[in-house]
Amino acid sequence: MSLATTSANHGERLRSRLRKTAPLLVLVGLCILIGVTSPNFLSLPNGIRVLTAASIPMVLALGATFVILVGGIDLSVEGNIALSAIVLSLVLSGPLGTLGLWAVPLAILAGAAMGAANGAAHVGLRIPSFMVTLGTWFVGLGLGTVLLGGGTIRIVEPSIRALSLTRFVGLPLLVWIAAAALLVAWVLQARTRFGRHVYAVGGAEDLAALSGIRVGRIKVLVFILAGAFYGLAAVMSAAQIGQGNAAVGDGRLFTTITAVVVGGTSLAGGDGGVIETAIGVLIVAVLANGMILLGIPPYVQQAVQGLMIIAAVAISIDHRLFRIVK
Amino acid sequence: MSTIPTGGFRLRRRDLLVLAAMGGVLPVVGLRPLRAEGKPTLVNSLRSLSNPYHAAWNKGGEAFAKSLGLDYVTLVTEGDSEKGIADIRAILAKTGGNAVINIDPNDAADARPIVEACAKAKAHIVTQWNKPADLHPWDFDPYYVAHVSFDGVLYGEATAKVLIESIGGKGGILALGGTLSNTPAIERKAGLEKAIAANPGIKLLDFQVANWQSSKAFDTVAAWITRFGADIKGIWAANDDMAIGAVEALRAEGLAGKVPVTGIDGIKTGIDAVRAGEMVATVSWDPFWQGAMGLSIAYAARTGRFDPAKEPKAHREVYGTGVVVSKANVEAFYKANIENEPKLDYNDLWGRAAGQIRT
Repeated sequence: MSLATTSANHGERLRSRLRKTAPLLVLVGLCILIGVTSPNFLSLPNGIRVLTAASIPMVLALGATFVILVGGIDLSVEGNIALSAIVLSLVLSGPLGTLGLWAVPLAILAGAAMGAANGAAHVGLRIPSFMVTLGTWFVGLGLGTVLLGGGTIRIVEPSIRALSLTRFVGLPLLVWIAAAALLVAWVLQARTRFGRHVYAVGGAEDLAALSGIRVGRIKVLVFILAGAFYGLAAVMSAAQIGQGNAAVGDGRLFTTITAVVVGGTSLAGGDGGVIETAIGVLIVAVLANGMILLGIPPYVQQAVQGLMIIAAVAISIDHRLFRIVK
Repeated sequence: MSTIPTGGFRLRRRDLLVLAAMGGVLPVVGLRPLRAEGKPTLVNSLRSLSNPYHAAWNKGGEAFAKSLGLDYVTLVTEGDSEKGIADIRAILAKTGGNAVINIDPNDAADARPIVEACAKAKAHIVTQWNKPADLHPWDFDPYYVAHVSFDGVLYGEATAKVLIESIGGKGGILALGGTLSNTPAIERKAGLEKAIAANPGIKLLDFQVANWQSSKAFDTVAAWITRFGADIKGIWAANDDMAIGAVEALRAEGLAGKVPVTGIDGIKTGIDAVRAGEMVATVSWDPFWQGAMGLSIAYAARTGRFDPAKEPKAHREVYGTGVVVSKANVEAFYKANIENEPKLDYNDLWGRAAGQIRT
């Protein structure tokens, strides 16, 4: 803060800083508030439970972050999870069941393929991303339902179940996978040309195109990357529940978008990133855990999550930039 | 007329109207007298054959048809209401209305056009699970023979009773409900509350809605373990998917099999969990019975064994009997229903009728 005060228009910077740090403050504030009311919240076992609950939303939200950074939106999360999880469970229960952990790349590939379809339709056919992904959401759900006929397949493969049941340094492997995914996403965002191009496209697509960035290619890559992350999350989900069915992704879209937005990534694109998303995911997970600890009735919990996303957008948008809101 | 395919074939709305008209007209113009004397075709309409629930349903239909030596047709909607309705109309046209139909409508709203088409073609129909509340079998005598469903209150209470028994009648339990805007979720919860009210030693520590989903149930149960710890003696879930989520959340804490869990629906993963001792109860709706007896009831009406119009309402909108599967009977249940083909007395039309459906 002391640096900002040396500047002439320090009020401006202070506000920008505050906007950037608000999610972190909210996270800390929530932890203190819940911890005071319900001391169990701050216990180590509960910390592990919160991190476990955050692991799958984390991987999903990381994928969605890139899409939102280029100024798009991806609504196909649940369809993608359903399809990828069903591919995984069918591979494991079929003649290829001996593949064990090698079925995981296949599921991730299925997710990436669906992402590629999203990207290709969005860029190639010039259809808005929300419309394309709304369509593929139901394509994925439909395909998954047809493949499995609405049934449920049990996953007994020990190497897959181990992802959820084995602990390393006290934490389930799922948490480590989420942490690794965060690292990969951060390197992609901050240390590669691809990452810079994502920001360039999201910040000002026309300028990016004029300066020689192949905007279409970046967008397709972003959707493929997001799809791959969803595929990984599908594997994690199936490993955690020990079964695959078309409903395995139900309800994940809302938490994913909420986490990204609450973390401070702008829906307008070009502003935010994976660290912000990580904080957003933790806020959502802490709140969900905390509301159960505090005994808040189920439908009030839903309403709180809804209010949170509106509040987050209200805080994160610089209102002077928008003269007309549709 | 008999060349109209009945499956894997999509019709447009106009074709539908034409077909519907033909379905109604044809019997009058001549086909009906020819065919009505012949044996009726038995038809089961369901969502998909690759889903274990409807696969068992279909096996029931096959077994019943075989017992009478009648033609048997399975129509599959693949979750597509329009296809479901079109296929029914096509089969009515093909058989000239000489058909007996047992259907699990894809959507409640589908039941009306299907029943209307059947009544027009003078085919006999039984619907199961889904129908609009204001559509009644007695509005289409004698062709709309019956509607079969299952009592959520009764079975919500039944699984809760097994749960309460398994913890010796006292202690704190937790409950996972389905989306509270739908009927089975409301009914099953009411059943749970009835069981708790009858057992003063039982305390409902918390009720959360997990929207029928295993993943939401998993996270909810994990948070409950923090909040209630060792006070958790049992977990009741309104369906098997959430029960499985609860079992897995317990497993992550080394508690699977130590804290009893109950579900409802009798999906295979649920039955497996009961066998493994990780769930203490689920309820099977016995899809084999639904597939066989839905046809048997409609067939009995068609062949004049009974007159639907003279049956009491408790035989027209009828609750079927579910099977509570618990540790006591799970091995026998598994052997009789999953390893082998169940044996039924097809003439026992109302043996599992458990009263009139509440509205």
